[in-house]
Amino acid sequence: MSLSPKNPRVLFLAILFLAVILPWIPLGPSTNYLLRVLTSAVLYMILALGLNIVPGFTGLLDLGYVGFYGIGAYTSGLLAIHYDLSLWVILPLAAANGALWGVLLGAPTLRLTGDYFAIVTFGFSELVVLLIRNELWLTRGPMGLPGIPPPAIFGYALTQGWQYFYLALFLLLVVLVVVVRLENSRLGRAWFAIREDETAAQCCGISLIRYKVMAFAASAAIGAMGGAFYAKWFRFIHPDMFKFWESILILCLIVFGGMGSIAGTMLGALILIPLTEVLRTALPQSMFNARYLIYGLLLVLMMRLRPEGLIPFQLSRSRKAEQAKARLLGGEE
Amino acid sequence: MESLFDQSSLFLQQLVNGITLGGVYALIAVGYTMVYGVIQLINFAHGEIYMLGAFLAYTLVAVVGMPFFPAFVLTLLICAVLGVVLDFVAYRPLRKAPRLAALITAIGMSIFLQNMAMLVWGSQIKSYPRDILPPFFSESAITFGDVSLSWLQLFILAITLLSMIILHLTIHKTRIGMAMRAISQDKTASALMGIGVNRVISFTFAIGSAMGGMAGVLVGLYYNAIFPTMGYVAGIKAFAAAVLGGIGSVPGAMLGGGVLGIAEVMGAGYISSEYRDGISYAVMIAVILFKPSGLIGKQNAEKV
Repeated sequence: MSLSPKNPRVLFLAILFLAVILPWIPLGPSTNYLLRVLTSAVLYMILALGLNIVPGFTGLLDLGYVGFYGIGAYTSGLLAIHYDLSLWVILPLAAANGALWGVLLGAPTLRLTGDYFAIVTFGFSELVVLLIRNELWLTRGPMGLPGIPPPAIFGYALTQGWQYFYLALFLLLVVLVVVVRLENSRLGRAWFAIREDETAAQCCGISLIRYKVMAFAASAAIGAMGGAFYAKWFRFIHPDMFKFWESILILCLIVFGGMGSIAGTMLGALILIPLTEVLRTALPQSMFNARYLIYGLLLVLMMRLRPEGLIPFQLSRSRKAEQAKARLLGGEE
Repeated sequence: MESLFDQSSLFLQQLVNGITLGGVYALIAVGYTMVYGVIQLINFAHGEIYMLGAFLAYTLVAVVGMPFFPAFVLTLLICAVLGVVLDFVAYRPLRKAPRLAALITAIGMSIFLQNMAMLVWGSQIKSYPRDILPPFFSESAITFGDVSLSWLQLFILAITLLSMIILHLTIHKTRIGMAMRAISQDKTASALMGIGVNRVISFTFAIGSAMGGMAGVLVGLYYNAIFPTMGYVAGIKAFAAAVLGGIGSVPGAMLGGGVLGIAEVMGAGYISSEYRDGISYAVMIAVILFKPSGLIGKQNAEKV
């Protein structure tokens, strides 16, 4: 590993280091606010890493990611309220529920072309919001779900902002390890093959539907886990929190940072989520409500000018091969 | 017996309302279907053109003070230009890029236009001035028992049908229509035969957007409520209509629009009004899952 600042890993370590010391920088009364922004940035990094598996690794547009986020949040909220389960039971259960819905939705729809898949995922997430809004007996609908008990770790209920921040950071590390391992696995290589050329991948013996469903389920599980954390952190959930806009925001994070690139995805969240907070304070309310103007424009401009994002995707092992190729072809470059 | 009669007249009234709504969906769906036919792109921003149509007519009538019918025509022209500009600015540079890039651009444009409208016109619901149409429009044109069809509904249905017929003739009887059909089959071969592919694509966007804008104005008149987010729900429903009828087929879009409009009104009336939008999504998902080629099968449907 070279130590040039261009190396995404160095960048990533620098971010991680900053993240670990940030809560200890004394900022007086604004510390809690800063922590909230940071925790939400970390949460969105988790969500973006999850979404990235589908459009980034496999090359399919998923417009319904927020549906899984909502499913996870409500699973977590309802389990916590009605059964008082521990966080370490709730998180895997929420992720499993997300993955289950991912398989149920993905198995029939992933046979379709990418366009139809995008539309079906959109319809799915809208249906999830409609169900949450209207099935009052389960979700209390538009009244929201208040009074979710705070998570407890070894019997201590979390109360401070920094505790949630470190919990989020811990979850991020878990997700990051999973995603990096997936990227470098047989599974990951199959996904990249599908992304680059479906027909060629199929000819190499990759079962398209099987690997696509796996990608979708993995992504859904991570999204649902993010939602489960969100419910435990915010301790109040409402159907409006899981609207289509959230999917767009998360898509924006990965497009901006670099679709398919893990470091890029995280950097995208780290830049855009705090930026949203800056906009919230800098703009009057009516203009802040139209902030998606910027996100929409960002999507268009990125696709036009830099479709690979801030930190382009690179197969981690292909770097040496690329260098070797460059040396071989040196004369031509 | 009497209650039975009430039931059946209620049903018929719902049917009339559903067909009117379906006509509007069909007008929007045509824009999706035509663009998909020529460049295989789901133009997510099409719903926003529909919304802009509604707001442009509102501005021309309520702010500028134009009479309705000239404002209507001007709105259609502006929408056509908007469609062409949209293609030129957003989609044309990405013709050779991967499909994912074009799809993301389409989503981005849709979000951008919607929020732009929110900044320009505010997020409150607006309604057209009361005296925009001659007063007889709200009266019943045809009454049959308890079922009535207002002049406005008749106007919407007539204008929908008329534009569909003109569109059908354009596609099948004119040179540019032939060029559109050629491009939908093979873009490269069409270019080799001397067809100006980009010019024809611009024409497709112009026609589709004008019809989308028209649908926006008609819905504005029918429901008397316009708001910046009206485009994305209607756009998705119209896309559902296009898929239902068989994407790429203009008669299919009409059929799909009609079926979806009726299903939505009936579902809201008889099943649950809370799930009004949900019915459209469910129909769409079911169609995509079980019959992705649509009601008019892909083999028979002409892609335009």
